Parts: sequence; structure tokens; C-alpha cells
Amino acid sequence: MGSRFRGNDGGGVTLRRQFFEVLAFMTESTSTPPASRGLRSDQVAGLMLIALALYVGWMNRVYPLGTLAEPGPGYVPLILAVFLGAMGLLVMIAGGKSMPLAVMDWRERWRALAILAACGFAAYGLERLGYRITMTALLVFFIGVLERKHPARVVTVAVGFAFGTYYLFATLLRVPLPVSPWGV
Amino acid sequence: MLETLNNLMLGFSVALQPQVLMYAFVGCLIGTLVGMLPGVGPLAGISMLLPATFGLDPIIAVVLLAGVYYGAMYGGSTTSILMRLPGEAASVMTCIDGYEMTRRGRAGPALAICAIGSFVAGTLGVLGLMLLAPTLASFALRFGPPEYTALLMMGLLVLAYMSGGSMPKTLAMAGFGLMLGMIGIDAMSGYTRFSFDVVELADGIGIVPVAVGLFGISEILMTASHQMGALPKTPTLRELMPSRTEWRQSSGAIARGSVIGFLIGIIPGSAHIISSFVAYGVERRLSKTPERFGQGAIEGVAAPESANNSAASGAFIPMMALGVPTSPVTAVMLAAIMIHGIAPGPTLITERPELFWGFVASMYVGNVMLLIFNLPLIGLFVSLLRIPYSYLYPCILAFCILGCYSVSNSVVDVWIMLAMGGVGFVLRKFGFDLAPVALGLVLAPMLELSLRQSLAMSAGDYAIFFQRPISAVMLGLGVLMLLVSLKPLISRKRDWRSQVGLDDQA
Repeated sequence: MGSRFRGNDGGGVTLRRQFFEVLAFMTESTSTPPASRGLRSDQVAGLMLIALALYVGWMNRVYPLGTLAEPGPGYVPLILAVFLGAMGLLVMIAGGKSMPLAVMDWRERWRALAILAACGFAAYGLERLGYRITMTALLVFFIGVLERKHPARVVTVAVGFAFGTYYLFATLLRVPLPVSPWGV
Repeated sequence: MLETLNNLMLGFSVALQPQVLMYAFVGCLIGTLVGMLPGVGPLAGISMLLPATFGLDPIIAVVLLAGVYYGAMYGGSTTSILMRLPGEAASVMTCIDGYEMTRRGRAGPALAICAIGSFVAGTLGVLGLMLLAPTLASFALRFGPPEYTALLMMGLLVLAYMSGGSMPKTLAMAGFGLMLGMIGIDAMSGYTRFSFDVVELADGIGIVPVAVGLFGISEILMTASHQMGALPKTPTLRELMPSRTEWRQSSGAIARGSVIGFLIGIIPGSAHIISSFVAYGVERRLSKTPERFGQGAIEGVAAPESANNSAASGAFIPMMALGVPTSPVTAVMLAAIMIHGIAPGPTLITERPELFWGFVASMYVGNVMLLIFNLPLIGLFVSLLRIPYSYLYPCILAFCILGCYSVSNSVVDVWIMLAMGGVGFVLRKFGFDLAPVALGLVLAPMLELSLRQSLAMSAGDYAIFFQRPISAVMLGLGVLMLLVSLKPLISRKRDWRSQVGLDDQA
């Protein structure tokens, strides 16, 4: 089962889902994942951690390890890679009863990818097109294309937000924000 | 005691300056709004506001950001009670009985007890900060590299224990965060590590892009397709007054929640979240009528809300006294102080008393402001939720990009934020807790430096950590936590963490 009731800052784990998990706990209901063959989520997670540990260990080979009395720049990263690998192994070994990979819910993946790609475009365009043009384009994509809102509202919100926040941060609070070659 | 009072007077002389008062109010206001909006939370709010504090006086910057922090703690409760929608994770427990009270027409008393509990807990927390931080700071002057290494190790082990759930997963996330902290120039040798020839990475990865990516962006990736429910009727001022029975029932819960929250707040981790779970669990166990919990028990609102506010104050103690952040939020605040050239740590309180005591006094002031303004303004705050989420999340994303870019005017930070958003999304899907990543990242340079200095001091002998009493005690405590957390695996009994809802290994 995935983590229950664990939270963090900035919104924590999905709040709505977390809430229903809390409710499930309060009513003592437990949902056991259906039995199925194949890899389990924690086994895959453990493998990912081991792969990361091996990659860091391999990358670390160029840094001197030094001696115990005088540890070099590669010393602590190597310890961490070994530690991460060990934790990955533990997660994998203990993951036999975790949720089957096949039943994991990835419904949001396409929307998540679209959001990340759009934000990637914004990162690429920020210093080339300037803050105002980039943000306007980003919001038009989100509200107009992804959310399919009325064009007039899309333009109002996108332009209003981009120019309003520019005025607030760049003009009033003097936070330097990029400007396009055309001065916008 | 007299010295403390004198210092507090100095603090009030700073905190009551009109400009500081104004920023404390602005911080509380923004924090309340941030706390109410799902997907933003105090960390993303503080990160976004960080660049705007660069031009401010350090005390004003800290007061503003602290106002956002405890304002968010309060704001999260409003939507929890009225809409069963926790604005931030620490308010999840408030939903259960808070929303049930709303359904029974008692939303007003729930909101009022929330505000009063938050005020009492916040004030008690500040008292604790005022009394404990200077003592801890003078004690910390005895710390050398081995003690700092042991302290940081203990912090990570306690975090893994308190987070509940799978300890290897939590420790793996701490390890991942520590690894991220290895990126950049090694302070002792000058080597640039894991920078992939990206010049900006030579400075290391900042906490802001990582935290906003892990917590803000990944939250939006998970929830962008969701819709908010209908808005409830907001109670009028007259409807806010709790009955005599409700006062009686909630007073003990507020006191217990405040103490629990404060103590947990000092410990590393997402203290305000954990504390609200623990306080709710303790209240339910202590109650003579535990069956009322989940059915609109006012103690179920009072205890977690008091605990998360008190924990917010408690978390400032190690930050101010030791210069060691205990959560991603305090890590960002520490960064805000350091940007102004101030080194937090044991000497801060003696060298910059106006900063520390002004901050303490501003927290008193902030608590009063939250109590006075928030209840009458509930209707106004709730109306913000009329903005459809389909308009809200694009603006939040744009704010995240703006906030990350403006910290160091670097697009690389935006890329890091996006990468961390994707990583956070996948890690959440696999049930990992993300707080240890952010904490590991912040603690990594301190941990590496103190470990290597300790080994240099002892000519490579690890026994140095056990030969020095303070470090031996701290490491012993960390190992004890590790062993205690293994107990349920051996005895197959549910320990206290699972009973209060922190464990998923039922």
C-alpha cells in the first residue's frame, strides 16, 4: 500500500487523496491491493534507487577518495551511493506485498506531461521572448488549449496576469525580469 | 529572567515599528491565502515571495516570511472546515471533525476554536522559543564538528522515525537529498562535482527550485484535472461563538495540542504535519467518548490546529539557535537570512539581538493579527475559492516559474524546478515521502564538512563520535529511534505511530 497520512510542505501529498486515506484510517477500513503476478511497485522503486546508486558510484570514480584521515571529494558521495543502494535493496526485498505495478493509477500522466512540456517551453523562452510574452503564451496554452475556456476570458486572464505580475514584481518590487528584444 | 524581559522589550521596540507591523500583516494575509489554496502551501508561498525580500531589511524579510508560514497554518483550516478541502497538508486532520461540524451547522464554533487554538498555541510556542532558543544557543557553543555531525545524523534518523511508513524509503529519500547536495564545488578541495559542465551547477542546487518542484509542481501535476466542490455558506460573526460545552471540551485539547506541537516542532521533519496527526491521535485515545471523533468532535479540530501552529514556532528554535533547519520551510527562511549576509547559528542571538528578539516579538504581534483579522474576514477569504481551479493552477505554475527564476535570475533554476516536479510526481506515485529530500539537500554541505573535519581531527578514527559525550548521546538517540522503529517488524504489534495514523505498515 502506498504511504498513508504522510504529508509535506507546499501542499504535501495529493491532499484530496490523503484526506480520503485519513477517512479510511478513521473508519479502520483497509484496502488490500488485489493479488496479481508481476512486479510490485516497491520492487520497481527499489530497482530505481539501486540504478541511481550505481550511476552515482560510476560518476564518482573521477573524484579522489582520499584517506580516512583526509577524505577527498569522492568520499562522502561514495558513502551515499552505497547507502542509497542498500536502502534500494531493502525497499525491493520488503516490497513483495506492495501494490502491483499493473494496478498503479497513472491517469494523470498525459496531462502531467503536457504541463511539464509547456513549462519547459516557458523556461526556454523566458530569456528569449521576455517574461510578459512567455507568460501570456503559457497561460493561453493552459487555459485556452488544455482547459478549453472562452477565448475572451483566456486573453483577459493571460494578459492580465502576465502584465500585472510584471508590474508588481519588476516595477514595484524591483525584481529583475527578462524583457524581449522588442522591449516587451 | 530580567535579561529575557529586557531583550523582549528590545524585540517589541523593533516589531511595533509601523513598517514591520505592516509587513507582518501582509505576511499573515498572504499566508492565510496561500494556506487556503490547494497546491500552494507555505513552502511554495515562501519560495515565491523570497525574491521580493532581497531588497528589504533582514528583520522585515524574516517577519514577512514567518507571517506567511503561520498564516498558512491558520488559512489551511478554513477550507478544511468549510469545504473538506485541506489547503495544506497539516490541515488534513482538521477536515474530519471540522467538516462534520459544518454539516451539523456548527461551522462557526469550529472556525472560532480553530482561530483561538491557533492563537493560544502560537503564543505558547513563541514563549517556548523565547525561553529555549537562547539556552540552546549557549549550549551549542560547545559543539565542534563531531557534535554537528552527530546532530545532523540524529536529525535524519528522527525524521525517518517520525515520518512513519517505510523507514528504508524515508532514509533513501534523505540519501537522495544528500546526494543532490553533493552537486557543486567541494568546499574543502575545490573540486566541482557532478556539474555536467553546467556553470550554474558549480554553485550547487538551491533549495528553492528543489522545494517548489517537489512540493508545488508535483502537487499540480497530480491534481490539475480535479475540480473543486461547491462553496458552503460562510458563517456570520454572531454564529462564531462556541457554546459553554464546546469551550470546556476544547480547552484541554488546545493545551495538549500546543505542548505536543511545540515538542515535535523542534524535531526535524515536516513537524507541523506530523504534530497534527499525533495530537489528533492522542486526543482520541484520551477521550472518554472516542466514538465522537469523526462525528464532529470539537477536540478533533482544536488539537490538530493548535499542534500545527505550535509546531511552526517550535521549528524556529533549532533554526535560530543552531543554524540548522528542521524542515524545508525553515531551510528557505534560513536562506532568506543568509542572503542578507547574516550567519545563523549560536552567535546570532548575541550578535544580532534586534533580529532574534524582533522576530520573536513580531510573532506575538502576528498571532494577535491573525486572531483579530481572520475571523471577520473569513467570507472574503472563502470568496477567493470561487476562482475555478482551471484558472488557478496555471497562475500558480506561472508564479512558481517566476519565483524560481528570480531567486538568482537563472533559467537553470527553472529547469531544475521542472525536473524536480517530474521526479516528485513519480516518487509520490511510488509512495515516497518528499520532505527528507529537501531536508537532505540543505543538510548535505553541513554534514559533509563536519564529517570530514571530524575525521581529520581524529586522524581517520570514527571512534571520535563515541568518545565525545554530546555526540555519543545524540548518535545513541538516533540509533535508539532506528531500533524502536524496527520493533513492530519483530513483535508484529502496531506501535504508537500506527495508532495515531503515521504508519502505513498496519
